[in-house]
Amino acid sequence: MNELSKEGGATMSEDSREYLTFNLGDEEYGIDILKVQEIRGYDAVTKIANSPEFIKGVINMRGVIVPIIDMRLKFNLGQVEYNQFTVVIILNIAGRVIGMVVDGVSDVIALSNNKISPAPEFGAVLDTDYINGLATLEERMVIMVDIEKLMTSGEMGLVDQAQNAAA
Amino acid sequence: MSIDLSQFYQVFFEEAAEHLAAMEGLLLELDVEAPDLETLNAIFRSAHSIKGGAATFGFNDMAEVTHVLETLLDRLRKQELDVTVEMVDTFLQAGDIIREQLGAHQAGTEYEDPRADEVCQRLAELAAPEIATSGDVDEVQQASTLWQVRFNPSEVGCTKAQALSALFDGLAGLGSIERVREDGPDLCHWQLLTDSDAAAIRDIMAFLCDADGVELLPQTDGEAPFEPGSCDADEDDSFGFFDGAPGTEQTATPSEVDEGDGFGFFAGAPGLDQAEAAAHLVDEDDGFGFFAGAPGADQAVDQEGDGFGLFGGSPGMQEVASVADRDRAEETQGFGFFDTAPGAPKQASTNAEPAAPSQPMRPVPSSAAKPSQAAAAKRPASGESSIRVSVEKVDELINLVGELVITHAMLAESASELDSTVFERIFDGLSNLERNSRDLQQAVMSIRMMPISFVFNRFPRVVRDTAATLGKKVSLKLIGEDTELDKGLIERLADPLNHLVRNSIDHGIELPEQRLEAGKPESGEIVLKASHRGGSVVVEITDDGGGLNREKILAKAEKQGIAMPENPSDKDVWHLIFHPGFSTAEKVTDISGRGVGMDVVRRNIEEMNGRVDIDSTPGQGTRITIRLPLTLAILDGLSVRMGEEMFILPLTAIQESIQPRPEQFKSVAGRGQVVQVSGEYLPLVVLQDVFNDGGEKIPYEDGILVIVDTNEGRAALLVEELVAQHQVVIKSLETNYRKVEGVSGATIMGDGRVALILDVDALVRLNRKAA
Repeated sequence: MNELSKEGGATMSEDSREYLTFNLGDEEYGIDILKVQEIRGYDAVTKIANSPEFIKGVINMRGVIVPIIDMRLKFNLGQVEYNQFTVVIILNIAGRVIGMVVDGVSDVIALSNNKISPAPEFGAVLDTDYINGLATLEERMVIMVDIEKLMTSGEMGLVDQAQNAAA
Repeated sequence: MSIDLSQFYQVFFEEAAEHLAAMEGLLLELDVEAPDLETLNAIFRSAHSIKGGAATFGFNDMAEVTHVLETLLDRLRKQELDVTVEMVDTFLQAGDIIREQLGAHQAGTEYEDPRADEVCQRLAELAAPEIATSGDVDEVQQASTLWQVRFNPSEVGCTKAQALSALFDGLAGLGSIERVREDGPDLCHWQLLTDSDAAAIRDIMAFLCDADGVELLPQTDGEAPFEPGSCDADEDDSFGFFDGAPGTEQTATPSEVDEGDGFGFFAGAPGLDQAEAAAHLVDEDDGFGFFAGAPGADQAVDQEGDGFGLFGGSPGMQEVASVADRDRAEETQGFGFFDTAPGAPKQASTNAEPAAPSQPMRPVPSSAAKPSQAAAAKRPASGESSIRVSVEKVDELINLVGELVITHAMLAESASELDSTVFERIFDGLSNLERNSRDLQQAVMSIRMMPISFVFNRFPRVVRDTAATLGKKVSLKLIGEDTELDKGLIERLADPLNHLVRNSIDHGIELPEQRLEAGKPESGEIVLKASHRGGSVVVEITDDGGGLNREKILAKAEKQGIAMPENPSDKDVWHLIFHPGFSTAEKVTDISGRGVGMDVVRRNIEEMNGRVDIDSTPGQGTRITIRLPLTLAILDGLSVRMGEEMFILPLTAIQESIQPRPEQFKSVAGRGQVVQVSGEYLPLVVLQDVFNDGGEKIPYEDGILVIVDTNEGRAALLVEELVAQHQVVIKSLETNYRKVEGVSGATIMGDGRVALILDVDALVRLNRKAA
């Protein structure tokens, strides 16, 4: 596997990209690794008034104020617990830095585009609008998410809607 | 060989804008009755610098306008003409046009507006009349020469009719010009009567065409034109980029007209060895030295060195014209863009003699030495070196220093658990660090500080124009222009101030007749005053006009259905004018009265964490006070605790804080609650409820009431605990998140956690919504 992915990395061309996979409940998701800035533990957050429950608040990440979203709360998945194993994926999306709490981070994989098959209309907790497709990895199914589209959507309420409409 | 000049464009744009602003300021300062020669010279220098830069960068339209402007100014400063109000107006218009042209070039577009030609025409007319009307014929004849200007339009690169007429007009600025024959495609023949010399004529033509191809023959009145051979019109328009001492080794014969228009970019002393041999030589040097270059260095002959040094070089500085036995008329004006050393050391001897009997000589004014002396006197003051740095870099620095302050606070907090006797050195180090980082913070913040005169300086013009439109007489007094505040604030202050000043003139100051009737001086006065008060900057706009009319405002409020208490205080009434859509102006003028504005003014100022207040006495005037924080980046705040969260309350909003007693809380018919504080009922805002933090409710009397001043009056904010006073670095929540109601921003506390900065105005609004 390691060799395979290395090879994949070496021959990475336009049709092959690397993805970070993470778990939410029983499902495994993949996002474009170029959107990931870093992975860190869960820290004390400052709550934001009158925000939806899944927006945990903001943290100070080396002087930058970063909002934290708990995907488990957003999609009613898994055990919502905050301990030293809770992982936050810091994403860099559309010039913004956003933190995303997930159940766990599993792997970095290289996949060529033809390995990703279109998603059926249902089956995932995410709206199919935000899903690029499905991939199979050692018998496991990985749901490929268009994380940028998801995070900037009105549903998440992370971006001012006026700004969203303009973008 | 070409050099990408565009890299210097930005510098030119900035410099030109500054020169324009300086010019406008000086023009407004100019007393038409008794014009100050210094001021005229300074205006001339500004215009000249713009011209030089514009021509160098190929912005010919700007060069053209500034040129005519300069021509007239030149005559004024030589006291050949008297300044008139009309001239000042035209100068201001020309300034506007140049500014628009500058803007167009900056945007990469071509500026086209017939006004440009009109203004040029007007300037030319204003510059010309002396020749046309002067009764002293002798003098005119002595000074003026009839020039035969002959050239082939296509050869000199001036084929378009437009360019040709611009050229014609340009020359008309020098004197009176007429066409000897119709302009043909291959020959133009004009006759120009002017007191300018060949150099000046070519100077003008060089802006528009290739002056080399122009045949220019002087002809004194009554005499036959010179034989082409008898006067060796040697013209040297050299654009030396790297080396270039064009026209070197010219062996000049007497009566040679030598002109070195050297645009030396790197080195280049155009016309270096020129004419050492020439005994009588009119040498004019317009050197545009970019990097080094003392254009026209070592010129040992009569000369006028107009150097435009962009980076280094005081052009023409080292002219050691030591050939003592030569007649010299030297006039040096160096325009250093960075190295502001206008006017080089100068050795001017003014005993100019006509170089040759047939040679027209520019009259050498006795004041020629003055400009450079004045410039030399100013030199030490403006000679302080400065650098241009982009605002982003400064902001980054401010951010980093903010981080440093926060890091220090974190360290101090961790260290506070240590035993101070054992770890004495750590504590010493920490207190040193604190002092240093505070100093650093202040030093960095001061980079962004600019004197408020950057905004104030536009107002003489605004007042002048507005008052003229309205037929009122208004004078403006500026106080405290040196007061410094953050650059970001300065930029955002301009619009609201502009509005307020125009309002004061339109609504405040009465017409002259009414003022006289009221026993006031005919001319109204507006005072703009800036000062530091505590940690904030206070800007006051005071007029001595009619003041606000309480009855009229109240009547208007009633008409618009704005709820008012029975006996409103004056302050409440005055604040009505900030209501959206509120205007008591009887008729809408193009200056004000539409009722959009005052509310925008207030909003703009509140966005800067500032406040507006009005004071008005009927018949005596109105004073509007704007209170602003020194900077947008740092806020003085009080940290308050509510449940587990910390919040920052801006100190400017806090009036007092009290420990409430249970009997002070009263509820009003299910429509929210009030607190009775010293005889007044204030709306109660419970932070916990507004923010729905879901925590355990605390009994009201266990909390602390903070009385805050909001734009809807006073309110009482209930928090759990007051913690400490801080200076906090404001961070935007919107960078990575979105706007949160009730919160104006966030900051990072000493323990590394984020605390939200409360917006009391929004909190009161939220509270009402929740109720």
